[in-house]
Amino acid sequence: MTVNLTDRMKAWIEAMGCHLCVATQEGVPFVVLGRYAQARAGDEVVFALAEDEANVLAPVLSKNARVAFGVSRQGGIRAAYQFKGTGELLRSGEVFDAVAARAKEEKAIDAGAILLVRLTELYCTKPGYEAGLRLDGMTPEEIDAWERQRWKDVPRKKE
Amino acid sequence: MVKFTQEMKEALRVPGKGGSLIYLCTSSRDGNPNIAAMRFVATHMDDKILIADMFLLKTKANIKENPDVAVTICHPLEEGRWWVFKGKAVDIEYGFPRDFDWYGANATDILNEWGNWNKAEPPDEVPPDIVFPKAVQRGVVVVHVEEAYSIEPGHVGDKVL
Repeated sequence: MTVNLTDRMKAWIEAMGCHLCVATQEGVPFVVLGRYAQARAGDEVVFALAEDEANVLAPVLSKNARVAFGVSRQGGIRAAYQFKGTGELLRSGEVFDAVAARAKEEKAIDAGAILLVRLTELYCTKPGYEAGLRLDGMTPEEIDAWERQRWKDVPRKKE
Repeated sequence: MVKFTQEMKEALRVPGKGGSLIYLCTSSRDGNPNIAAMRFVATHMDDKILIADMFLLKTKANIKENPDVAVTICHPLEEGRWWVFKGKAVDIEYGFPRDFDWYGANATDILNEWGNWNKAEPPDEVPPDIVFPKAVQRGVVVVHVEEAYSIEPGHVGDKVL
């Protein structure tokens, strides 16, 4: 389905970073932090990963590209969403160069790889009757209106 | 067999008691990952993480078909809580045989102590626009931790347990 990230979702993702979860084909999960995140489109997010972070994900992603992530820190409660899609590790090229440069400048991360996640699913994770509600497939206007009825707070970017 | 440090035990409690918001990461049997934040968390014995079964959907379905899970701290990270705990989970729901045992953890003990968690440790610190109107607990997820690694920048992947 089509995912349309709202400006608020993008702000939380970029301000707090994300916890990135992958799993082997046999179902063993692994997690690392995506400390520098950039929403490049309504349905694409990139994360700058240090070499050791990339090394945890690479062997898993090479056989199973599925990625799930949630927003880190206060975003775990304030940005109550789960984002799912397919991930690709980039180690060179235009996107790698641009994102790695920004990650170095903003967070002093020496990126060994960029994880590009193409989103295909979006879920509400707010505890209660809306937990698990699927939000992909909504138009940008619909998802924006849905979110504005619930939350409007946007975080400041962490240094 | 692993043994939590005191620092880990203090972190793996509800946020209102100085603990943490955590992420519980599960996967379907064929490798579809899932990540969900959890507020009701505690440790039991030296190697078990307990999480309330409230509003679990995909997480519950995944655990029922695949016990492999990972637990990590979502917030606060800056206090040095850079850990990912890996292990095997079961959701001990009401109705389980009272003598059910999960790596030494007994179902009766677990449900007696943590079966009405919302009353025991109410979510007073959760903001009003997030807090649930009525908590209904169906059980307790028990994670038997077998290993842990670091996600601290510069030490990612290092074994911590």
